[in-house]
Amino acid sequence: MSLEIEKIILRVAEVMIDELKLEDVTPERFEPDVDLVDEVGIDSMDLATVALVLQDEYSIRIDEDDYPKLTTVRRIAEYVEKQLNK
Amino acid sequence: MGAAKEEHVCKSQDIPGKKWKFSEILADNKIKERWEKVRKFFFLRESTYDMTNKCNIRCEGCYYYEGEKQFAKENKDIDAWRSLMKAEKKRGITFVVLAGAEPSLVPELCQVCYEEIPLGAVATNGIKFISENTGYKIHISVWGNDKTSHKLRGAKNMLSRQIENYIDDPRAVFVYTFTRNNIDEAREIAEILADKRCRLTFNMFSAPSGYEGELRHNPSSLLHTRETIMDLIAQYPENILYSAYNTAAHTHQTGLHGLYGCSYPRMNPSTDIGLGRSFRQYRTDLTWDRDAACCVPDTDCDDCRHYAAGSAVVTARMFRHAVNPELFKAWLDYVDTYLSVWVTGYEKGKNLCDNLTAPPGFKVF
Ligand code: SF4
Ligand code: SF4
Repeated sequence: MSLEIEKIILRVAEVMIDELKLEDVTPERFEPDVDLVDEVGIDSMDLATVALVLQDEYSIRIDEDDYPKLTTVRRIAEYVEKQLNK
Repeated sequence: MGAAKEEHVCKSQDIPGKKWKFSEILADNKIKERWEKVRKFFFLRESTYDMTNKCNIRCEGCYYYEGEKQFAKENKDIDAWRSLMKAEKKRGITFVVLAGAEPSLVPELCQVCYEEIPLGAVATNGIKFISENTGYKIHISVWGNDKTSHKLRGAKNMLSRQIENYIDDPRAVFVYTFTRNNIDEAREIAEILADKRCRLTFNMFSAPSGYEGELRHNPSSLLHTRETIMDLIAQYPENILYSAYNTAAHTHQTGLHGLYGCSYPRMNPSTDIGLGRSFRQYRTDLTWDRDAACCVPDTDCDDCRHYAAGSAVVTARMFRHAVNPELFKAWLDYVDTYLSVWVTGYEKGKNLCDNLTAPPGFKVF
């Protein structure tokens, strides 16, 4: 795993924890492969909030149609990385 | 235009073509404050439940008595309902809508639902009082003045009976459904309700599939309804739970599905996230059918302007509205309205937008 993606994973986890006010979990301990819908219980509104914050932060575009693909922190981080390298 | 009014007119078009960042939109204190207020409720996940297949009246154009739902066999077993609610809670459902035919006829079932999932709303015709012990929002349907109600619903003195039951009840919201024929009666109803300190919101008649009657809207009735609602919002700001953006969205020539893309399972094949994944519409026999699941099954989707559909469909489209302050304010007004109509104890704030903002990608009409 590249250093870059590791950094993005940590940042995505941090945003997720912050925005969803998740308790008892640190970015380092946020399992990047956990299913955000099934296990964290996020919905399209939550995901939109996180996506908007990431969009601002990385100056990228996250297409609403791509939400269904963004099912884990790792997938979101990979998506962000891909947009950054476009 | 006076200074006080000007303050509430959205002005973000001052910077044409600018690409707004979300953080820039939130830099406006009024927007930020409203955003923080509404986002606390993002945990709401709804499903709906038909409580009984009986009704104490019979209205023209009733959705319940269209299609197959009416033939479901009633399950009146309190334990079965309790188990269902427990299972729903486990599935992540945090908000229940108790509906057709008439939930007030089975108060014990409503109470069980409330005990298990304490956030929700009951859709009722308001003739029979639902005990205060059931702390859900109570949505009382109004279809016109008493003369019209008598004609369409076969019930006498409908409004005075409804008011008598629910005057000063903080749970109550009167829902006036605009049909093609009762638009002007809304002024009379709003005046009576405001005089009795009652809260009022609006619904648009949306034709059931195959409906050939005369209540279906046309472009001129939509426009007339739009003007009427905008006047009433200005006239009774304390009593009317609605916003200019609700008006723009629900009286648009294009229905909600055309404007936003419906997220209910009946029109949304995706089970990945959001309503398409979590929403179910249970019939009175406690079964549900994905192909029929929406807040008002058997509506002609092209004509759908239901207030309940909009609550989910427009609210879920936050992303599309977070592109400039004007559109985001309009969306915040919509969500603030929706929460005040549906969630017990949530108080509506002053609308941030007084003007008719166009839904994303569309013109105002
Ligand atoms: S009160 Fe509601 S359920 Fe009963 S007939 Fe009228 S519309 Fe249908
Ligand atoms: S009737 Fe309305 S809410 Fe139901 S599926 Fe059709 S468009 Fe969606």
